[in-house]
Amino acid sequence: MLVPLLVAATITVAATTTDLRELVAAVGGDRVRVESLTDPRQDPHTREIHPHQLALLGRSDLLVRVGLDHEPWLARAAKSVPPPAHDVDCSRAVALLGTDTPRLRADRGTHVHAFGNPHYWLDPENAHGITAAIADALARIAPADRAVFDENRRRFLARLDAALERWRARLAPHAGARVVAVHDTWPYFARRFGLVVAGTVEERPGIPPSPAYVATLIERMRASGVRLVVAEPGAPASLVRRIADGAGARVVTLAPSVGADPEAGDYLALFETNVTRLAAALDSLR
Amino acid sequence: MTLPLELLLVPFLACVVLAGIHAYFGLHVLARGVIFVDLALAQVAALGMTAALLFGHGPQSDAAYYYALAFTAVAAAVFALARRPELPPGPHVVPQEALIGIVYAAAAALTVLALDRVPQGGDQIKQLLVGGLLGVTGEDVVRVATLYGAVALVHWLCRRPLLALSTGGAVTHARAWDFFFYFTLGLVVTSSVRIAGVLLVFSYLIVPAVVGTWVAATLARRLVVGMAVGGAVSALGLAAAFAWDLPTGAAVVATFAAVLAVTALLRGAVAIVRRRRHDRVRVLSATVSVAGVLASLLGASLVVFPAADHFWLDFTERWAPPVRDAFLTPGERQVFADATAAIARGTEELRRLRGIQADAQWGTRDLAPEQRERLGQFLAGRDELVAGDRLVLRSLRQRARERQRFVLGIPLALAGAVVAATAVIARHRRRRRGADPGSLTATPGEPVSRTSRC
Repeated sequence: MLVPLLVAATITVAATTTDLRELVAAVGGDRVRVESLTDPRQDPHTREIHPHQLALLGRSDLLVRVGLDHEPWLARAAKSVPPPAHDVDCSRAVALLGTDTPRLRADRGTHVHAFGNPHYWLDPENAHGITAAIADALARIAPADRAVFDENRRRFLARLDAALERWRARLAPHAGARVVAVHDTWPYFARRFGLVVAGTVEERPGIPPSPAYVATLIERMRASGVRLVVAEPGAPASLVRRIADGAGARVVTLAPSVGADPEAGDYLALFETNVTRLAAALDSLR
Repeated sequence: MTLPLELLLVPFLACVVLAGIHAYFGLHVLARGVIFVDLALAQVAALGMTAALLFGHGPQSDAAYYYALAFTAVAAAVFALARRPELPPGPHVVPQEALIGIVYAAAAALTVLALDRVPQGGDQIKQLLVGGLLGVTGEDVVRVATLYGAVALVHWLCRRPLLALSTGGAVTHARAWDFFFYFTLGLVVTSSVRIAGVLLVFSYLIVPAVVGTWVAATLARRLVVGMAVGGAVSALGLAAAFAWDLPTGAAVVATFAAVLAVTALLRGAVAIVRRRRHDRVRVLSATVSVAGVLASLLGASLVVFPAADHFWLDFTERWAPPVRDAFLTPGERQVFADATAAIARGTEELRRLRGIQADAQWGTRDLAPEQRERLGQFLAGRDELVAGDRLVLRSLRQRARERQRFVLGIPLALAGAVVAATAVIARHRRRRRGADPGSLTATPGEPVSRTSRC
């Protein structure tokens, strides 16, 4: 008798990314059933949504999303199925970076993240705001479970904060280190751990850089002694290698999302993996 | 050697190697009339690479290459089996291009299906399409040069049956030779796509061969012209990519298109000059009527849609500002001049300050965090001001358009129509004169003398 009742009480949540899925699962515990609408190993901007995910979106009670312009496919999906009644835009729960970009661009360049950089989940501190927004939304759907959600959140954040202290201590010797990133994914991560992203390999996301840009980048790296390139699993390997060789730099591949790398299996493992790899790479440069 | 040259030397060498072998294969492909076989083979190779990714191999691994090659061999066999030269073309014979198109579409769809299950699938598709010319290493060039040299040698040894097959001659074991041709083409395409991407490989195959066919008569000359064109376009495209800050592969493809267009125009001009006087008049009158219709349409579009983009008018105004100034009041002209000067000043200042910002970011200039923040804020504000000045120019141009609408648009539409109509009527008259019984005695193409008809 109890089993159907429990199933009926479960809140179905659709998260747009695996990172948000992990945070929803951490807050909701066994009261929620959450799935990610995207595969972290694919480009989130060019996502083609599958029938299975449309069905998930259609039957969900709550949608948790990154917001800004990170999910352009979501508007198309919402035309096919009625979106869930409850919706959390997590970008409203954090302090964004890269918002000083003017709406009117004088240089007329393509600009993907016009409303601020959306990779804010890569700062563990931001999990405080995001999980608070998720807990509020879940409590609106199941008010009786408010205490459970708050308690789950408190325990998760305690673990995260303890781990963050450890991660910061691990990277503290490299505070102020300059790196070059392939994409503009790491400003939140860099700020939290005291690194400086001096430049990016791709001047405009998704468009191969010109020879002049690559030459300038290599010259800048040589001149300022930047010897680490932070790549992601989907980065153009031969180009990154060429730049690193030209500048006498090392390449370290980090996971931008939970599941983008087999070692980054959950939200804590994501940072554990990235911090360990980055620290090892920076140590080796000394 | 300076860094830019160092960066471009290896890609250039790779392009030269590609130009050589692809110009040769391109002549065969043109002669056979299977233009899209290269795209189909490239797509099948991509499918093979994707299959390798599905089974856990890396995109640049040897395994991926051999998967691609195996898939290409299957496609080559299908193309060889599907060729039915013994059947004359007719309504019941399906052309080989149809099968090539189907193979392309099916391979592309299967690649998308497979890549959906592969990490970074979307990125892989993008990289396969545009290639990574800048990332090519010296070893890559040596490897493909050796392979292509071997393929070229084998083709030279077997040149008789291969040439006969491509030009429609009779060959024993035609299917086996066909398979050999498509397989070696597949081998070359698979290797080239890894370094240059699908679009660039297609350009190297077709454009030099087309130019060679246009300007030379014998196969050997066409080959030399094709290789020279491929090499020259590579140098031009890479230089353009460097000078104008463009993605390399796409810049070379665009240069190919531009060279083809210029060659076509020159060829047309030479053909007109070489024609007899009567033909020249005919071509000239056709050109004048097309130009008249075009001018008439441009004028009409200015009347009907003054707020739309009129690039021809923008272009004219840039070279002859009075065309715009005549339609602005003295006050508006002053605002236009002020805004133009402000944009020039603002752009220069932005460039300078962005340089300072980049220096601070790279650590080559000391800037306190507070100064950095203020610089960022100032740049954002300055950027908006320049964009605002651009809006002022746009709105003034729009005002001028509203006034140009009838004053320029209607006369242009009418003049164009009159020119086109006159050219068409003159042509019609000439044709009637040509059809006159009195002209039967005249040699075709020669102007008919009035006295002979009297």
